[in-house]
Amino acid sequence: MNLNILKHTIILIGLFVANLSVAQCNSEELVNSSVSTIPNGYNFLKSYKIDGEPDLEKIEFSYVLTRGTSYILTIKDRNNSIGTVVTLFDTQRNKIASNKIGNKMVSALSFPCNATGIYYIQYTFDPGSNRCGGAALGFKR
Amino acid sequence: MKILLYSISFLLCLACSTNRKPEESAFLNTLDSAQQTKIIVDPELVGGILGQIPSPLEISALLKASGTKYNNKFLNAPENHGKYSTSYKQALNLGIYGTDLGYTNIYEQNLDGIKYLGAIKLLAENLSLGQFFDIETIGRLAANSNNLDSLLLLTTQNFNSINNHLQSQNRANLSVLLLIGGWVEAMDITCQVANLDLSNKQLHETIGSQKIILEQIMLLLSFYKGDTTLDPLLADFQELKLAFDKINITYTYGASTMEIVDGVAVIKDNSTTTILITQADIEDIGNKTSVIRNKIIS
Repeated sequence: MNLNILKHTIILIGLFVANLSVAQCNSEELVNSSVSTIPNGYNFLKSYKIDGEPDLEKIEFSYVLTRGTSYILTIKDRNNSIGTVVTLFDTQRNKIASNKIGNKMVSALSFPCNATGIYYIQYTFDPGSNRCGGAALGFKR
Repeated sequence: MKILLYSISFLLCLACSTNRKPEESAFLNTLDSAQQTKIIVDPELVGGILGQIPSPLEISALLKASGTKYNNKFLNAPENHGKYSTSYKQALNLGIYGTDLGYTNIYEQNLDGIKYLGAIKLLAENLSLGQFFDIETIGRLAANSNNLDSLLLLTTQNFNSINNHLQSQNRANLSVLLLIGGWVEAMDITCQVANLDLSNKQLHETIGSQKIILEQIMLLLSFYKGDTTLDPLLADFQELKLAFDKINITYTYGASTMEIVDGVAVIKDNSTTTILITQADIEDIGNKTSVIRNKIIS
């Protein structure tokens, strides 16, 4: 009887640990993947880990973009699906663009900057998305 | 039942295991006296501001794109690394050499680049950050001009990793110094080039736009007010700020448009900035930057 309880407990613990490992976000790998998709001609600048825990509404980073420079932001989500919505805001918090156009999502934003200033890169999550990804910023003159 | 308890204990041990690394204790042992007044600021706050400062690589790329010729006389000689004995000077000059390395990389000057890599590796080791530079791999990439993109990627990633590491180890003050060193060097190079090429309006605008970055650096330095190591630097930057105060930047918003090209959302930016800066402003900024840089590299 005791042996049966022990078996079940160990199985439950095993399942719990297995579930944890599946749910865990390996954003490092996705960051590397997003870096590798920066097109030729661009230089890598920064990478961003997107680990959107369930109760997290958004993740935001800021960066000073310079007039006359072209930037590219590449995004990689877990399982090759794109559920992470990236929105770019300018220094006055005006929305510049998003990778979600209607119901369609794209995995890269190209931004030839015409106005120097602090910009905000905001990551939010579509319902049912993995909430797990990586992004990379590159530039060229 | 005992087996169950052992299993749970084992899992708990796994969950609670820390990633304490040997360099932590090495760092604690190598604190110089100046750091005893170190002020700890919320790493997330510092990290957020540090993260928004553009890479000096962008300025090197601008210089090359504007037709400026490579000149290693603008740079801090790599053999100077032996002069820097405090962690304060080592961190600032690690930032300076980082910019110099980026400059040599952008201009594909591999032989100079290897010398800077050597100096960077030594300074990084002094700061217990040597693990971020696999000199063998970097040297191999630097030896072949076909690998320049990989070299740039690797060195940029290394500096990003150093910054993340320093912030996670409550050593964000060193990260701030690294950034300041890198920025001062990029500014110094840009001002020297601008003073030689008075007609290059794009460079003048770039210098003026650094007012935005300077404001962020001043904010970072203000967090460490009272730190005996950083206070003199703050005073120097307040002087530099006076020169930048004369520059006027106006932002005009215009709604952007967008089209999809080959799966990429290409944005057309319709906003503009106007930057008003005179030749006298550039000379003033150049002189004050040079004073700060000379103190750092001496």
